[in-house]
Amino acid sequence: MSDTSSQRYSEADLLYVSLTDGSITRKPLPEDLFKQYLGGRGLGVKLLYDNLAPGTDPLSPDNWLIFAVGPSTATSVPTSGRFVVVTKSPATGTIFDSHAGGYFAPQLRRAGIAAVIITGAAKSPVYLWINDDEVEIRDASSLWGKMTDIATDELIKATDEKAQVACIGPAGEHMINLAAIITDKHRAAGRGGVGAVMGSKNLKAVVARGTKTAAAADPEKLKGSVERARRLIKKNAVTDKSLPVYGTPVLVSVINEAGMLPTHNFQEGTFNDADGVSGEKLLERFALKPYNCHGCPIGCGRMSRVRGKDMGGPEFETIWALGPQCGINDLEWIALANDKCNMLGIDTISVGNTLGCAMELVQRGKLEHSLRFGDTTGVLELIEDIAFARGLGAELGKGSKRFATAYGAPELAMQVKGLEIPAYDPRGVQGHALGYATSNRGGCHLRSYMIGPEIMGSPVLVDRDITEGKADLVILFQNLSAAMDSMVVCRFTNFAWTVDDYASMVAAGTGLPIDGKELLKIGSRIWNLERLFNIREGFSKKDDALPPRFSKPLPEGNSRNRTAKIDVMLPEYYSLRGWDKEGNPTEKVLKELDIPIKK
Amino acid sequence: MPLTVEELAQTIDHTVLKAETTRSKIKRLCDEALTYNFAAVCINATHVEYAAELLKDSSVKVCCVIGFPLGATLSEVKAYETKEVVARGAHEVDMVMNIGALRDENHDLVRSDVEAVVAASGDAHVKVILETGLLTDDQKRTACLLCKEAGADFVKTSTGFGPMGATPYDVKLMRKVVGPKMGVKAAGGIKNFKEALRLIDAGADRIGTSSGVGIIEDYRWAQYSDSWLQPDKPCWTCPSRMANMSKQPKEVYLWYKQRCLTCPDKDYNVFTD
Repeated sequence: MSDTSSQRYSEADLLYVSLTDGSITRKPLPEDLFKQYLGGRGLGVKLLYDNLAPGTDPLSPDNWLIFAVGPSTATSVPTSGRFVVVTKSPATGTIFDSHAGGYFAPQLRRAGIAAVIITGAAKSPVYLWINDDEVEIRDASSLWGKMTDIATDELIKATDEKAQVACIGPAGEHMINLAAIITDKHRAAGRGGVGAVMGSKNLKAVVARGTKTAAAADPEKLKGSVERARRLIKKNAVTDKSLPVYGTPVLVSVINEAGMLPTHNFQEGTFNDADGVSGEKLLERFALKPYNCHGCPIGCGRMSRVRGKDMGGPEFETIWALGPQCGINDLEWIALANDKCNMLGIDTISVGNTLGCAMELVQRGKLEHSLRFGDTTGVLELIEDIAFARGLGAELGKGSKRFATAYGAPELAMQVKGLEIPAYDPRGVQGHALGYATSNRGGCHLRSYMIGPEIMGSPVLVDRDITEGKADLVILFQNLSAAMDSMVVCRFTNFAWTVDDYASMVAAGTGLPIDGKELLKIGSRIWNLERLFNIREGFSKKDDALPPRFSKPLPEGNSRNRTAKIDVMLPEYYSLRGWDKEGNPTEKVLKELDIPIKK
Repeated sequence: MPLTVEELAQTIDHTVLKAETTRSKIKRLCDEALTYNFAAVCINATHVEYAAELLKDSSVKVCCVIGFPLGATLSEVKAYETKEVVARGAHEVDMVMNIGALRDENHDLVRSDVEAVVAASGDAHVKVILETGLLTDDQKRTACLLCKEAGADFVKTSTGFGPMGATPYDVKLMRKVVGPKMGVKAAGGIKNFKEALRLIDAGADRIGTSSGVGIIEDYRWAQYSDSWLQPDKPCWTCPSRMANMSKQPKEVYLWYKQRCLTCPDKDYNVFTD
């Protein structure tokens, strides 16, 4: 019998699943946890911080893998169809949250679940089937080794046609550091090797189906807030025009024009063939239709038809990683390679970045291989080798930092804390550079998307070259992002909404007295707790750094003669965070944020 | 925050002047003006009656452009247009000055052109658009004085259809010439709250923009950081940087570029900012 009752987020459960002994336990969401960390990323971070022993091997049964949704999930809040995976990353060794859209999150929430906490490891491949209040660990031996699209189809056939699937492909099964978790066949919780953690637990998939209604504490207030939020999305040029028409690939031309589209492993910032891999060209050549995740009025996703096959994407980051980063200008090939990564369950950003690193190693004579910038020959096969951890692929699957180090050139790995940097050369944008360096999960563009103000002029254009005031803005965006990731809503709403809009929807949804300042405080609490986790794992000030390449100027293009001035901004960043000069949160700031001080 | 959100909204003339504007767009414009309590809606003559009906019993004014966007029509036509739109409910008229006459130094014609509109405007306020991008600084000063002499209530920088838009530099110049009692409206290319605030700081009382809603909504960010208003490179707001030979008379274009050579901030004038 399905449960059709409505349920507030505060009434949702934490679902504990031990794959070692097969125990399944539902526990109420603790009130203080919900009030202090909301849900999603914040919830996962708090659980992981409190329960994971320092030094835990990310690929051991001791690591926790948390699938979390938030108070906005499956409500009328636009873009509330996302879920978060929180774990200790095998790629970085840091605490890590990885996100995906699609339609999986609402099913989890409608099953009455705030988070699924997976511990231990199964002896043989299994999948988790959450069917409202009933939860089963089922055998997945027949699915092991299968591509994500086939596994998804078979799992829906074996469970419920309305169920949604989050699964791994061969890359996760082989526990490579670039492994993603895929939902709806092409939406990826891509970064940080979260798929490898899932593989280490012998967990092929989580399948969910729920029939409850996610209720708001104050439905009338939420209705008003949501109407306003939708109106703002319709009024904003990015969320109403650029993203719906071109999808994220609209950024290819924008970032290339700014001279910061990393090319040939960040050796240049301008790609001569950018037009050929642009959003405009994707629309002309392969666009089938837009793709909207659950509850999204923006529709930045793309469905493409390439050589007769319908496929998701490619997104901007993927086009860059498999294109300009590797010197490749063949958009059709990029779309096919993207599809292959999705089927294998690989993070396209990290795989493209790492391939570019390998190409530069060849260019500099440090690696003997047929890989060449601009040459697609054998690359699809190599991507497959990465997923199956075969030959050179097994080495590449460890990520650029380990790979470049193994070949004696760690400086050629474009990464922060072991996570590959995405599609914006930090030399052209000081705030964004600081965001990369201080990100708690390593080289990430989404912790503080300073491309908005520094390049796109959203909400206003700030001088991308100055360092003054950038620490302040980076912190604002980092705190807000942490809160958004805990609601949970999509980052792209940021172009249309301000802090107050998020706070208004959280307050109406939860009944908590949250205004803009309180929302940012929650974000800051999450950020500081992540920092404490990483410090406990041995990270320090020295890790808040960029590769040495970014201390040397780009040779040409519209970001030439610039370097990333992290040293100038970092002291101010620490000071504004209330941290000491070594980047450790002080007792004062922890007390202000109600984070218990552990001696 | 130098102004509250409400105070900033009160400076905005919520504008749509495109040829393709439909009644539904005018309806939305007026609804937004009421929601945000903007100073006025700024529209073409054909929409005045409809907007006046939508905005009756509110504090939002109806502002109509006259002789727009070239200003090159006859004074009689401008006066007739003014009389008709005021009769249909316009509270303010934004006329375009006879720019060619000013460049010909036919100051009498410029003055009488404005006087004709002022005479036809009744109780409505008259703003005179100088189209600063077509003028040198001396011509801007002269234009301001002529408008003041002719009894106009405001001088206004640009149509938004001509070269360059509103700059703090021009607003400062205009404010200095007209003094504190006359109004100065900045219009043309104003897209965000930082630009709006800088123009207000330079002396503008009104901001004409088609991005009013975005400006106000985005301004809510300002309460969370002062860094949004960090100084930009001086060239970003300088009219010389916006000069465009394809859109300006050669001598005006060269006059603007000549200023760069002696500018004390010329070191900032790099290619890639």
